[in-house]
Amino acid sequence: MIALDVQHLSKRFYSGQYPAVNDVSFAMQQGEILVLVGPSGCGKTTTLRLIAGLERPDSGEIYLDGQVAASREIFLPPEQRGIGMVFQDHALFPHLNVYDNIAFGLRGRPSVEIRQTVHELLNMVGLEPLAKRYPHALSGGERQRVALARALAPHPVLVLMDEPFSSLDTDLRLEMREQVRSLLKAMNASVVFVTHDQEEALYMGDRLAVFQQGRLEQLGTPEQVFQNSATRFVAEFMGNSAFLSGEVIPGGIQTEVGLVSQPVNLPTGSRVELAVRVDDLDFYPDPTGNAVIVERIFRGVQNVYRLRLDSGLTLQAFKEHITMLPVGQRIQAKLNPGHPLNVFLASH
Amino acid sequence: MNRSDAPMPPALVSPLQRLRAASNRLTTRSASPTLLAGLAGLVALFLVVPLVYIFLRAVGADGEAWQRLLQARLWKLLGNTLLLMLAVTGGALVTGASMAWLTERSDLPGRKYFRWMFALPLAIPAYIGGIVHLALLRPRGGMLPRLLENLLGQPVYTPSPLGFWGAAFILILFTFPYVYLLSGAAFRSQHASLEEAARMLGYRPLRTFFSVTLPAMRPGLLAGALLVALDILAEYGTVALLRYETFSSAIFVQLSGRYDRSAAAVLSGVLVGLAVIILWAELRSQGQARFTQMESSWRPAPTIRLGKWRIPALLVAAGVTFTSLLVPVGVLATWSIQAVLDPDTLRSVLHSGSMGFSNFAWNSLWTSFLAALLAITLSVPVALFSVRHPSRISRFIARVCQVGYAIPGVVIALSLVLLVNRTLPFLYATPFIVVIAYVLRHMPQAVRASEAALNQVSPTLEEAARVSGRTPVQALLQVTFPLILPGLLAGGALVFLTSLKELPATLLLRPAGFDTLAVRVWMWANDGFYVQAAPAALFLVLISAVPLSFLLRREQIFK
Repeated sequence: MIALDVQHLSKRFYSGQYPAVNDVSFAMQQGEILVLVGPSGCGKTTTLRLIAGLERPDSGEIYLDGQVAASREIFLPPEQRGIGMVFQDHALFPHLNVYDNIAFGLRGRPSVEIRQTVHELLNMVGLEPLAKRYPHALSGGERQRVALARALAPHPVLVLMDEPFSSLDTDLRLEMREQVRSLLKAMNASVVFVTHDQEEALYMGDRLAVFQQGRLEQLGTPEQVFQNSATRFVAEFMGNSAFLSGEVIPGGIQTEVGLVSQPVNLPTGSRVELAVRVDDLDFYPDPTGNAVIVERIFRGVQNVYRLRLDSGLTLQAFKEHITMLPVGQRIQAKLNPGHPLNVFLASH
Repeated sequence: MNRSDAPMPPALVSPLQRLRAASNRLTTRSASPTLLAGLAGLVALFLVVPLVYIFLRAVGADGEAWQRLLQARLWKLLGNTLLLMLAVTGGALVTGASMAWLTERSDLPGRKYFRWMFALPLAIPAYIGGIVHLALLRPRGGMLPRLLENLLGQPVYTPSPLGFWGAAFILILFTFPYVYLLSGAAFRSQHASLEEAARMLGYRPLRTFFSVTLPAMRPGLLAGALLVALDILAEYGTVALLRYETFSSAIFVQLSGRYDRSAAAVLSGVLVGLAVIILWAELRSQGQARFTQMESSWRPAPTIRLGKWRIPALLVAAGVTFTSLLVPVGVLATWSIQAVLDPDTLRSVLHSGSMGFSNFAWNSLWTSFLAALLAITLSVPVALFSVRHPSRISRFIARVCQVGYAIPGVVIALSLVLLVNRTLPFLYATPFIVVIAYVLRHMPQAVRASEAALNQVSPTLEEAARVSGRTPVQALLQVTFPLILPGLLAGGALVFLTSLKELPATLLLRPAGFDTLAVRVWMWANDGFYVQAAPAALFLVLISAVPLSFLLRREQIFK
């Protein structure tokens, strides 16, 4: 069943140079976690706020559970959409305690039901003993869980999460990620999750929607988006690729660090760019090699080397931490991906 | 959630939506601000009409009135007013900032108590302080010269509190707390690392103070100085009492004595022009004056040991407190006891004509309370519009609502007399016109308080309420309102406090026989009945101290 369907959504702000959201369409299934990911200002948060009803679209339609929430003629205000939302700053009501915060969205239901639902959720997020506490007396992780419980309490058709972990420190963030994902999965919630952290996106999402400058660049599973990037931007953003130029020849692509034999759907002679990540490049010391080590960055379990090719292009490659090669060492670099690389037509 | 459930029939949608889309383009937050914008605009209009009216009257006055004033009085008044303004602002800056340094950065003994002593003179209207000092120091018959003469057996010269120096002295004593509070907060919130960085870069302590500490406080000092300057432009009671003529007192004389309204309008036009310039500077400095915001990494700067300067510093601080707080309160208390002990005086304190002491007190309280209530109520739509829907229009409206600072009490009185006579004659000679004057004059304080309170409430809280099923109005009532209530109360307390102290507008606008505490004190003191005036003055000071201490407790340095 389709939980959310977005069609040709656009929104332009008065001050913006280009539309904040530009003709974005996607649909998501009941029980799915869809992550909107992209650099800051790419339109992912605006998309989320449009779905919530906190912004009004310039054009396009939004359907929740098959019913119109926004279109040319109709605009349902947020309070009529039946959506739960977790805000970046959590937005817990400081004048209400934990219990009342969670009960806030349940108003109008029988009091027995309210009590039961709130306790159910307190239990689920493990905050039963803190029910009478006020938000200022909670830790970051506890606030996070209250915010989630408040969003889930009314059993919304859809849960929106706007960079919910960004205010937590790294350790807590990793821990919360796991807890929240398993909780959402256990409840079979449909979730739209916004983040700018590609690693978090890969972890949280059943599917990813990569945004740039208001446009939806690619929609797909984490594996598809990472390994089979649709655009140069996606390849660059997901996994910090560098780009190596090459030329299509029969049987593969010729580059300055060797031939990549993979099928290419482009005419022979086309100038292309290959997205190369740290794990795709191998090298060994060779006084007559094609590159030189310019920097070694110690990362604990591995050493990342910055290599300058004779063309002047700098690529990165890693080796185990026991292999220490000095800066200035001449080496022979060689593409050794073990999988097809993402190929893009050269931009000029 | 299908089409038939849509909130409005499709035919109505398109024009409305176009309107919404238009307003959306101006704002970043959604929800239609049209109603809010209308309300805020009405409030701004209400505030700006008296100002514009006075300008029009001044410009439209016949050339002869201008001519006469230009030849005879205008330049002298301008010189007098500016001179007093500069002297008092400078004096208040030096006194306020140095007392703030002593209590916030040095190991001055008893600094915890001095904080309160330096802030409390705000509860004493300057003219009441002036009355006390005048009674003490008057050249002929003052209490101090007489005492000295009796002791020494011959007349002794004592400085006279009359004229420029006396007025400057009295006004510095009762306005320096503004600077004290703002610079105290600035000293207090300054990061220790700021000075440490300067020291690490090779600056000695004294140079560090003048090239880092003081410049970093500039926004706070400037804000305090401009508040004082506006206050001096509006001051009537003290300058009239000490016979130093400024614009305000000249306008008052024109209005009450000679009844020359076109001359009064011309003078008012010039005065308001002057005040608008200062207000403009104040509004510009306000944006930068975010000195009380403390970050989590804040660490107090180390206390500086006064060493051998401990005793002199203590004497100076005690001297300031003595003249600005202890002498006025002590003398008023003594006179009050005398008044209560003397049956004749007591009778005239309690009954003057058909009016009694409780009538004055009640009049003061209800007019000030009503003004506070109105000002806060009116400030809420303005603050909501400017904070939640920032745009050029909403900023403009918020700015316009600050004009009250630039309209001295006498000018508001003149403007209301002329306007109300012409358009709303049924209001004339009722106490409500006094309340309207208070609201006009003190609205800026209410708007600032409401804006500050609203800025503390993240808009995501309202959005969270919307997503949880609340309409905009419900979100406002259930989430925003409870959270801004303490801030609104503080704004109300400030308006109440300043309305209690207001003198010239009350004098000029009140219906015959409608006396407030401030008016009664002024009239009795003007007739020389100091002892008779004392209980009312003391009572006024004491009830002013209540909202003041509530306000001070909200400040960082009094926690």
